[in-house]
Amino acid sequence: MSLRQRLVPYWLLGPGLLWLIIFFVVPMYFMGELALRTGNLTTGFTFNWEWSNFPDSLSGHTEQIWRSFYYAGTATLLALLIGYPLAYAIAFRAGRFKQLLLFAVIAPFFTTYLVRTIAWKTILSDSSPVVSVLQTLSILPPNGRLLATSTAVIAGLTYNFLPFMILPLYANLERLDLRLIEAAKDLYSSSTQAFLKVTLPLTMPGIVAGVLLTFIPAFGDYINAQILGGTQQAMVGNVIQSLYLVQRNYPEAAALSFLMMGLILAIVVIYIRFAGTGAFMGDEEEETA
Amino acid sequence: MTLAIASALALIVLAVGLAACGGTTGGGGNTGEIETAKAGPVEGKLTISNWPGYIAPGDHGTVAEFERKTGVNVSYIEDVNETESFFSKMQPLLEQGESGGRSLYVVADYMAKMQHDLGYLQNIKKSDIPTVFENLLPSLRSPDFDPNREFSVPWQSGMTGIWVDTSKAPEIHSINDLFDSKYAGKITMLGELRETVPLVMLAEGIDPAKASTDQWLHAIERIKDAASSGQIRHFTGNEYTEDLNAGNIVAAIGWSGDSSLIENENAEWRMPTQGCTMWSEDMVIPVGAPNTAAALEWMNFVYQPKIAADITDYVQYISPVSGVQELLKERGSELANSQIVFPTEQFTRKCTGQNSPPDLEPVNEAWQEVITG
Amino acid sequence: MSAAWAWLRRNALRIYAALAVAYMLIPIFVIAVFSFGNTPRDKLTFGLEHGFTLEYWETIFSLPELNEALLTSLRLAAFATLISTAIGTAMAMALVRHRFRGRRATNLLIVIPMATPEVVIGAALLSMFIYYSFALGFTSLLIAHVMFSISFVVVVVRSRLIGFDRNLEEAAADLGATPFATFRTVTLPLLAPGVIAAALLAFALSIDDFVISNFNSGTTVTFPLYVYGVSLRGIPVQVNALATLLFVLIVVAVSLVLIQQRRAERMAAVRPEQEGPPPIPAPGAAAAT
Repeated sequence: MSLRQRLVPYWLLGPGLLWLIIFFVVPMYFMGELALRTGNLTTGFTFNWEWSNFPDSLSGHTEQIWRSFYYAGTATLLALLIGYPLAYAIAFRAGRFKQLLLFAVIAPFFTTYLVRTIAWKTILSDSSPVVSVLQTLSILPPNGRLLATSTAVIAGLTYNFLPFMILPLYANLERLDLRLIEAAKDLYSSSTQAFLKVTLPLTMPGIVAGVLLTFIPAFGDYINAQILGGTQQAMVGNVIQSLYLVQRNYPEAAALSFLMMGLILAIVVIYIRFAGTGAFMGDEEEETA
Repeated sequence: MTLAIASALALIVLAVGLAACGGTTGGGGNTGEIETAKAGPVEGKLTISNWPGYIAPGDHGTVAEFERKTGVNVSYIEDVNETESFFSKMQPLLEQGESGGRSLYVVADYMAKMQHDLGYLQNIKKSDIPTVFENLLPSLRSPDFDPNREFSVPWQSGMTGIWVDTSKAPEIHSINDLFDSKYAGKITMLGELRETVPLVMLAEGIDPAKASTDQWLHAIERIKDAASSGQIRHFTGNEYTEDLNAGNIVAAIGWSGDSSLIENENAEWRMPTQGCTMWSEDMVIPVGAPNTAAALEWMNFVYQPKIAADITDYVQYISPVSGVQELLKERGSELANSQIVFPTEQFTRKCTGQNSPPDLEPVNEAWQEVITG
Repeated sequence: MSAAWAWLRRNALRIYAALAVAYMLIPIFVIAVFSFGNTPRDKLTFGLEHGFTLEYWETIFSLPELNEALLTSLRLAAFATLISTAIGTAMAMALVRHRFRGRRATNLLIVIPMATPEVVIGAALLSMFIYYSFALGFTSLLIAHVMFSISFVVVVVRSRLIGFDRNLEEAAADLGATPFATFRTVTLPLLAPGVIAAALLAFALSIDDFVISNFNSGTTVTFPLYVYGVSLRGIPVQVNALATLLFVLIVVAVSLVLIQQRRAERMAAVRPEQEGPPPIPAPGAAAAT
């Protein structure tokens, strides 16, 4: 190959890599740098190697961090339980309607995150038919409510991130060679066994991708908590948002963001080392550097 | 592998280099002389930021009338939802001497002082706003934070008290009632430190103007317990009106003039038994404001009694302009007799102003913890 | 009776899929229906006591702030889509068709932004902008939107490229076509659906974005930011009408793309989704669950 030909990929990659480095990697560095400053608005923020910002930012907020794990975890589990059968149905039972159904899954994206979360707020409001029905069925106590509870926030998170679960699941399920299941049946396994021993393991990469793509954004979300939750449902995202945009305590805000980022990065790196970036990107072969 | 190491090293060098360029940043305020807003021919475009529902709207509203009279093209943006978050949005711009295109916006007294001290506001010459000083109520002419009215011109005043849904909880009259467990989860309070906490202190018999930091913190503890137990549903800015409308709450700490935004016919504003918090909001001209001449003319315009009466008619807050009550009486408006719009000394005898705690930082920190959840 | 049961069992998954999809479309339905509801204050209430009206559809463009916000969002999304699709497609081509050093690092760099919560991305960018006293506004928003879209574009185009049948390009070359002509008449048309899908995704992500925009918009107002502002004081019903209109327009656009894709596939006799022989349908599939 000529030198020019060998350089082609670098030209193709260049703009994208540059953009990502300058506007993703570098800001991360700045966030870390801001986390080491002290000061406030009146005095300005001076660089001080203030490592204490990191434990300080955690100290008041452990409750929100655990809560974020709990909410995001539950929402992810629910999304998996709801989304897997749906993805399976679209991949193998949909026939002509496959693309239509896929589109229906993405459709909520087109109504603006806020508008549809606010729609849920009113659907679940105290005087809505939904709440009345639940009260009649004794699922809710007589003056119980759905809004400003953990249930509402988890329901909102599940709904909003369901497409993030379904799409990777679908992409993976679609490649499933049904003849393998045929083969299992030929070898006298029941439907359940076939599912547990053939389908599930083969679709595991899709499940893991879906879980990661759902859990991580859900963990950092604050809109659902703000709109559907009350005073006791604040998540880490709410704290960070308040620190930056209301309190203007930039150093503490940056420290907390950095810690959260580090936590998630740890999870992702462990997974990638485990399964290879290729699996995360959706194909089965491992790529070499 | 070597590529990875090389790029990592390059990044580190780059980073250190960048860090060397910076020292103190992000704050420190504007150093240098405070400018005075320039008067001049009144024309062109004027951009104003204000709280929602704070002006007479529509074709015969304040903005339309001003446009007709002066030929100025007004862009009136209702993007102030909370004092603190609006300031957070503006701060990086103001620090650079920019205002994001705004010539004028409306902020609370204490915020006006804060911004002035940071050098973010322009001064206003008395001779440029004659109509204002002709008609400004005597009680507002010389406030503590701006004794000569150099940088702030009152827009409206109001009272913070309790909005009650009388069909669901008619017996709520005192702030202490809001802590009654039979209303658990059906109460909201304002997230503004200087409005909610003084109310709670009043309810305990403490004078907020003289309260010690410990007394502030104690009141905040009480509110915090109520939030943890689920008694308080939300800490709100403007949005308590929506909760009232939807029937999600039975009572809210809220602002006296918000009836135009509340659909719930059973809701009424009540003066708390132990007294309310009174506040004022001011028009200010920020640094970097374009077309200050039009902004000054706007100030003069809204201080004409007729225009001020139109505004009061709609927003139902307390006008800073004298002569409005008489005008409304002439129009046969019920508001002329309203205690909420024209409160008597007797009505507000127990009320306090928007006080700040003696030691702001620990109180602010404690408060932020409570309202963030 | 047992015939009915048998039918139920066979179609259980399909019925479930239908219910799940209905659940996903509930808020959209609610939003659309209540855009026709008459309300006293012209602000959204989810109740139909006051009857129906077309008033808000007729005055759909009568709120200057709303229009400006929507236009800003559309402009932002258009630019962001153009830039990120171009950059992302180039990256995808390099990743799939070329050999180069640093593949693992590149994959990582593409994947990590997708796995980072928006709060952290928004906050980090803000940190950098604060540091350089960079004025927040349209430009800062554009930078942010392109940044978070690139990864998604790469993933979508890449999956399309992987399933690409290169025999067709070889055939064209065998028939005497120059590389450029091959690219123009064979590669590009077949790649187009993937690129368009990626562009649509980037567009949707940009229009929908709230969190990152909230941190980096300064005083510029995008559509989601506008909705957030008015949601505190009563949403004008026109917002719902606009959201519904936007949704319908996107549905139409995507349907057209799908139809076009079907036609192109039929003409090129290529099925890009499948690698290898298709799984044996019907008897095997029915027994597989």
